[in-house]
Amino acid sequence: MTRWGMVLDLARCIGCNACTVACKIENGTPPDAYWARVYTEETGTYPDTKTTYVPALCNHCEDAPCVTVCPTKASYKRDDGIVMIDQNLCIGCRACMMACPYSNRFYLRKGVLETGYHGERTDFEELKWALFQEGTVNKCTFCAHRVDEGLEPACVITCPTDARIFGDLADEDSNVSVLIRERNGRQPSPELGTNPSVYYVEER
Amino acid sequence: MATALKRREPESDRWVQSVCKMCLHTCGILVHVENGVVTKIEGDPTNPDNLGKLCPKGNVGMLRLYDPKRVKAPMVRTNPEKGPGVDPGWKEISWDEAMDLAAGKLKAIRETDPRKLLVASGDFNRIFNWAWPAAFGSPHFFSTVGQYCGAAYHPINGITDTSFAVVNDYEYCNYWLQIGSGDGFSSHLHLPGSANRMADARMRGMRVVTVEPRMSPAAAKADEWVPIRPGTDRAFALGLMHSMVFEHELYDREFLKTRTNAPYLIGPDGSYALSADGKAMVWDPAGGKAREWDDPEIGDFALEGRYDVNGVPCAPGFQLFREIVEDHTPERMEEVCTVPAATMRRLARELGEAARFGETIMLEGKEYPFRPAAVNYYRGAIAHADGGLDSMALKMLNTLLGNIDVPGGHLGVPLDIRGFFIEPGEHGMLKPNPHILHPPVPFKFPADSLQMMEWFPLGMDAGHIAVDAVLNPERYRLEYVPEVLLTYHSNPVWNMPAQEKVRRAMATFTYVISIDVVINETTEWADLILPDHTYLESTLAVSCEPPVVKGLSLRQPAIPPIHNTRDATDILIDIADRCGFLDVWNGFLNFLLGITAREDLMLAPDRKYANEDIMDRFCRATYDDDHDLEWFKEHGHMVTKRNAAETYLPYDGLRIPFYYEVIKTAGDELRAQFAGTGYEWDTSNYVPLPFWKDGPIHGEDPDYPLYAITFKTAETNFAENMSIPIISKLTSGAAQTRGVLLNPVTAGRLGVADGDPIAIVSRFGRVEGDAALSEGVHPDTVAVSNALTRSLGGKKGTHFNTLLPAELEYTDNFSGALESVARVRVEKAGKEAA
Repeated sequence: MTRWGMVLDLARCIGCNACTVACKIENGTPPDAYWARVYTEETGTYPDTKTTYVPALCNHCEDAPCVTVCPTKASYKRDDGIVMIDQNLCIGCRACMMACPYSNRFYLRKGVLETGYHGERTDFEELKWALFQEGTVNKCTFCAHRVDEGLEPACVITCPTDARIFGDLADEDSNVSVLIRERNGRQPSPELGTNPSVYYVEER
Repeated sequence: MATALKRREPESDRWVQSVCKMCLHTCGILVHVENGVVTKIEGDPTNPDNLGKLCPKGNVGMLRLYDPKRVKAPMVRTNPEKGPGVDPGWKEISWDEAMDLAAGKLKAIRETDPRKLLVASGDFNRIFNWAWPAAFGSPHFFSTVGQYCGAAYHPINGITDTSFAVVNDYEYCNYWLQIGSGDGFSSHLHLPGSANRMADARMRGMRVVTVEPRMSPAAAKADEWVPIRPGTDRAFALGLMHSMVFEHELYDREFLKTRTNAPYLIGPDGSYALSADGKAMVWDPAGGKAREWDDPEIGDFALEGRYDVNGVPCAPGFQLFREIVEDHTPERMEEVCTVPAATMRRLARELGEAARFGETIMLEGKEYPFRPAAVNYYRGAIAHADGGLDSMALKMLNTLLGNIDVPGGHLGVPLDIRGFFIEPGEHGMLKPNPHILHPPVPFKFPADSLQMMEWFPLGMDAGHIAVDAVLNPERYRLEYVPEVLLTYHSNPVWNMPAQEKVRRAMATFTYVISIDVVINETTEWADLILPDHTYLESTLAVSCEPPVVKGLSLRQPAIPPIHNTRDATDILIDIADRCGFLDVWNGFLNFLLGITAREDLMLAPDRKYANEDIMDRFCRATYDDDHDLEWFKEHGHMVTKRNAAETYLPYDGLRIPFYYEVIKTAGDELRAQFAGTGYEWDTSNYVPLPFWKDGPIHGEDPDYPLYAITFKTAETNFAENMSIPIISKLTSGAAQTRGVLLNPVTAGRLGVADGDPIAIVSRFGRVEGDAALSEGVHPDTVAVSNALTRSLGGKKGTHFNTLLPAELEYTDNFSGALESVARVRVEKAGKEAA
């Protein structure tokens, strides 16, 4: 059985936010939702300063606390490991947001979709925002709609440096499995026991 | 909305192959159209330029297409009062009325004195339209045409190897020293493809060292960040060169002897010492005498020494270089640039060792020198008052490494489809070509052009001088007063320096016409706006500054225009027709688009052609009749990777300059031309070799102790994108763009805490912003992202350019580059200076 996963290559990422924007356009996410994003971490003291760009997205955990906690089964995990939300079942209780240790879920407040990016809804928002229901929670879908067509997620295809690598964790010869093995991939906060499907690699 | 619905296509879902225009470069894109709406833009995976990748700007292009601030129809102002924030009272009019108005104004000007029209153009993708003012009879540029990006970079590149831009060899370089440039990380040439190649190069082990006052992405990803005081990169380069030549003796003597003019003998006047036959000479230590450069008997080329040739004392150019650089020790240069001398020494050694002198590589059946160490630089390093010297010093650092246009090294990038301009010049040299944007403008006194292009024989149009000239015509002995301004995809009220002066200049114009896509700081001053299509609605065959690849791509409409707009090329043709110079403009277009290569395709003088027809001829003249516009509509592009012969030493057999005799000679000529005019014009930067001298921003300045710089990020490279909500929102809280970056130690001394409102004050202006403390900034530096500079929607931006001058004293008299660093002091906002 396929288990979709992603490797985020911290050596390659240049923090350009192409992924952030590509995700927002592909998925037409509401203004405050950043399913894909990049954190900039500055450490050290001048001139021994270090800046690290850390791309992030839903970890599609194997043992996803957001799924367990959902009272209506709106949050569910597909057989291929992708964690999804059925907006029709979501009652907006936001228990999942409390349960997610990675802040990867976004609540769509009522009224947000009334005005568009520019203060009025354009053709773009009319078409893309129709997919969202106010008063529900949304999150990264690993671009399940693309994956089901055999396409990689939007953040992956656009990434200028190929810092986002998508593949099947269940296949030990896949691109992601090889990277994780060869470059000592680690899951974010593995101690939480959620078994994320997202791994980070650092050293080149 | 209603307009759009009516125009929707019957096909509900399709992908259109096209070209991006969210910056000046030309990445391939695929545009997804669903129910007539552009819903997605992806990189075109068939295009070897950007390899299916896109930057954040390219991803978000449809938000400009659908921006409600688009100019939806021609508009005239009804409120005669003009100024920032003053509502022009726009009224929509028909295209007929608009063109009558525009042509009426322009025809009257043209019939009295065409010089009274000022044009500001900023559309790099349709660079052929930049020549439109010249066809009209107006010689001016009232906009930034490189004075604080590439003005000092392009002429040195063109003189060296006829390139427009340059970038190190992503494929073979092993040691990449990056100075004041975003190449491969955040900005400049074709970011998505470049970032991909850079990441691959780093992963295969290429070492990156980044010299920069701020920890940019290039510095963050580098193996080593070397912070430097702003505006002193030349001192760093000179310190490195001193160390390479005098301390490590690590430089490519063979390259200098056989592929440059470094051995050519220079006479006491600084020009080549010529033989009786008028040929440049070299000193042959084997024969113990001077010989003509191409004498087959030459045993060796002396690089050092002083010689007497027929009673004339002379020395190889390299000897003169040594004599200049000898006292530019790392210690002395450290005092200027703050980089420790020991660091300069180490980097000089590392570069020299990585360059693998003497090694060669076989590529596609030909043996090339292999020099996998190179210095890459751009705006931050060279956009200064002595930018020509900066640019020359950094180029020569590469020439010393023997890496110019060889595998692993520092590679020329052409401006467009015309490629390099390779012709034999004098004395076995490649013919220099600093005039890639337009032909040289002959000397004239007084000048016709407001940017005094007639007095910059090798430089670029310094648009900021036009501002100064409009306000101070007597200073330049102007014989006329400009009256009308035409802006074409240009926003001078935002992107020019010295905003106070720009606004005063704007107020002097009797009529302002803008051709643009959205309302911005400049269209706010317009009397008439002629709206252009966006790139998602228009047709253009194009190629702009592509590293690595060559070939035209086609921009084609993803959807029909959603508003009542016209293609700017058609607008300009229409005005030319109505003003009576269509014949001249058609002739220009034939030349500019290379249609002259096919007599049967040339535009007839008296016929009005549509943009698509012209593009069809451009494609066919560039390739052949099979590759016409229809072919491009179906196949998208002709972009292929340049092969080794096109990339490496495409002028093999011709020498390039090490000693910039051509610049020195141009200065001599210019001085002779000014003689007798009684006019003082500084020509001090027309020198053949670089050296350190303090410029207007250097040295102790107790009133303005800090150095303000501006910078771009990948999201805001070309900050016009700040009008796009996703981009402006992304940058508003981000580490580098949340406020004005200050080193915590500097901020502590000033009593400024993170988030405090501050004022930045220079001799030329004052701006306000919020302090953002960062350990990633040199303590002398105040770093202002261009993301902070817009004043849209009532937002009061931290407009960096307000801090800059538009004065000759801050302009490189050789290249036209403006000093882009401002000496400033920082105060808590609203308080007097301590």
